[in-house]
This record gives sequence, structure tokens and C-alpha cells, in this order.
Amino acid sequence: MAQKSIAIDAEVLAGKRFGYQEDISLVDDLDLMDLTPGRDLNWLEDIHLLEEDGTPAVFDRNSNSFLKIYFAIPEGREDEIARKVLMKHLISGNSYGIQLKEKHCKFHQVELGPWVADSKSVGDDYTPPVLEGWEPPVH
Amino acid sequence: MAGLTKSSVVYDARGLVEPDPEPPMTAEIDGDRAVIDATDLTTRKINLELRRIVYDEGVDDVTILNPGSKHSLGVGILKRCHITFEGSPGWYACGLIDGPEVQINGRVGWSLAENMMSGSVVVEGPAGSLTGAALRGGDLVIKGNVGARTGIDQKGGTIIVTGSAGINTAFMMQRGRQIVCGDVGNGLGDSMYDGLIYVGGDIASLGVDCVPGEMDDADHEFINRKFEIYGLGTPPDLKKFECGKVLHNYDALEPSERKLVL
Repeated sequence: MAQKSIAIDAEVLAGKRFGYQEDISLVDDLDLMDLTPGRDLNWLEDIHLLEEDGTPAVFDRNSNSFLKIYFAIPEGREDEIARKVLMKHLISGNSYGIQLKEKHCKFHQVELGPWVADSKSVGDDYTPPVLEGWEPPVH
Repeated sequence: MAGLTKSSVVYDARGLVEPDPEPPMTAEIDGDRAVIDATDLTTRKINLELRRIVYDEGVDDVTILNPGSKHSLGVGILKRCHITFEGSPGWYACGLIDGPEVQINGRVGWSLAENMMSGSVVVEGPAGSLTGAALRGGDLVIKGNVGARTGIDQKGGTIIVTGSAGINTAFMMQRGRQIVCGDVGNGLGDSMYDGLIYVGGDIASLGVDCVPGEMDDADHEFINRKFEIYGLGTPPDLKKFECGKVLHNYDALEPSERKLVL
């Protein structure tokens, strides 16, 4: 009998694993200072390398899921690499929470968050979903 | 029944009242800078104009004159930009922001930068109670005293208070860092789960499960860096406090519970 997993990680939500989870060269040249407000890492100061199911992982609060990292992380750069993998995930628009914005946002937001300049707007023209054949109950 | 008439309030698709959703179009825009005079505008109109300037006009540097202590100003801005208040906003200023760097040349009321996700808010004066409530990320700097329950339920980010703080500072703190250069009232760090608190002055009493910690090189590097970035001079001698992990302990939580505070 297959073991049931209660963990929800980013690749389960996406249905695939992303290249930057397996190849450090795809994240190594990211400029974290450029991606965050102010003159330091700002909110990324609270992002650290964690572990999920025995695998190094970084937590993506936009989708409430862990993003596992499968490549070897150089010693002493654990948090830096975790932050870069997370930012690559976010600015690529691959976070499941970001993908939900297009359909479900009720208020104006920039799709890719404040990390990407000139990201498109979502949530400006929200229309509630309609369930065919349903009528509101008479009170 | 006398006195009751059919409501004429209109709700939009989101279920919100939208009595007049049009921005006032009163801002003066000069290139990539804009000035909004809030003197004769309501809270809703100020925020509508601010959103129009930042989102639609693409202006990244906005100054709001004469905020007049109106409540809920500058909330919900989800873009990197610079916002300056020349004067004092009221309660709930700059809540739910994600990205802006805010400068407040005045004082503020309760619950400044509640639930801020990223960015920074610097206040050139005192702030009320509940400053930085449920802060998730970014820096909140108060150049003065703050009221009670500063950083209640804080889940990340940094709060710096150059003056003193009231009772129950860092109540139920879950992550993040607080630096209070002056004194703090009773119940510092009461029921905290995690996070770090640094205090320069006297402490009336520690809260449940808040215990003294040892300052290390990482603490000094962090404090010196923040003071330099915000031009706060030389940091005072600070004492460190952390969670004793007797009352609450993340290690004992289920994975799904742990995610709620990450």
C-alpha cells in the first residue's frame, strides 16, 4: 500500500520539478540586494535553509509549501542559496500562490510581487465565479 | 416603521461598499515624483489617489502633505516605491504593505505597519500601541517612544525603537527581531515562541518564558548594520532576550502547524 504523504511541497503543487532546484548555476548570479527594498536583505533576512522530508528546502510563504533543493549546497552559503532559490521561484512566477492570483485576486496586485519591476497587474477586474443553475436561497 | 428606508448602498463584486471609487485627481505630478495635499481629502480619497499615482501613473516617489492624523493611510501598497508623509498619520498607517520604503516626518497612532510583508517604515517621532503588530518582514524604525504590545504576534522583520516601550512588548512574538534602546514595561516577551529581543534600558519585568540570552558576533553585526543603515549612531549596550522554549516549542509542533509561522 502506497504511503500517504501529508506534506505539500512546491513540486507537488506544480506537478513538476524546476531546473533551479537541481542546478546551482541557474540561481548563483541572482542579486538579492537588487531584488529587495532598502539597503539590506530586508524580508529575506527571515528566510533560512530548512529541511523537509530529509531534503534541504526553503519555505515559500506565498504557496505555504517547501521548495526542495537537490544540488550540493556549498558550505557556509546555506541561507544565501536558499534565498536565491526562493527568489528564482518567485520571479519566475512558478509559485503556486502567484499562479492563483490571475483568477482569484479581488484587489489590485502586481502579479510577481514587489520583486519584479513592471510586473503586470492582476485583480483589477475581478468578477465572482458563477455556478450554473444555482440560485441564491430565499430568506 | 418610522425612520427606516430602503438602503441605497451599493456593493461591488467583492462585497465591499464603493460609494465613490474615483480618485480625486488632485496630485501634482512632476516626472517621477508626485505630491498629494491631503488637507481636504478623506481617507478613502487619499488612498485612491496614492494608488493611482503609484500603480497607474508609475510614480515611484510620492509625498503626502497634511495627513491630518487620518486613519488607515497608505495601506495595502504592494509595490516598491518611496512614500513620505509630511505630518502625522493616525491609526493603522501603512498596514499590509509589501515593498514600499516609507518615511513619516511626524508621529503615528496605533498599529503602524501592521502585517507589513516587506519594505521599511521610518518614523521621526513616537508611535502608539501595537506598533508592528503581526509584522511579517521588513524594517520598522521608531525614533521615539512606543506604546504597549509593540510587535505583538510578530512573525518576522525587525523593529527598532530608539526610545522606550510600554507593557507586553513582543507579546507572543513568533519570529523576527526587536531592538529597544530605552526602557521597557512589564511582561517583556510574554509567551513568545521565538525571535530575539534586545533592550538597552531597564526592564520592569520579563514575561512568561522570556529569558536572558548571550550576545554573540552575529548579534553585534546585525545591530551595527541596522544602526548604520538608518543613521542611528552608535548602538547602546544591549541585553539580549529569547524564548526559554518551556511554554511553547516549535520542535513539538506538527509540520503543518510549523508552516503557519514560517
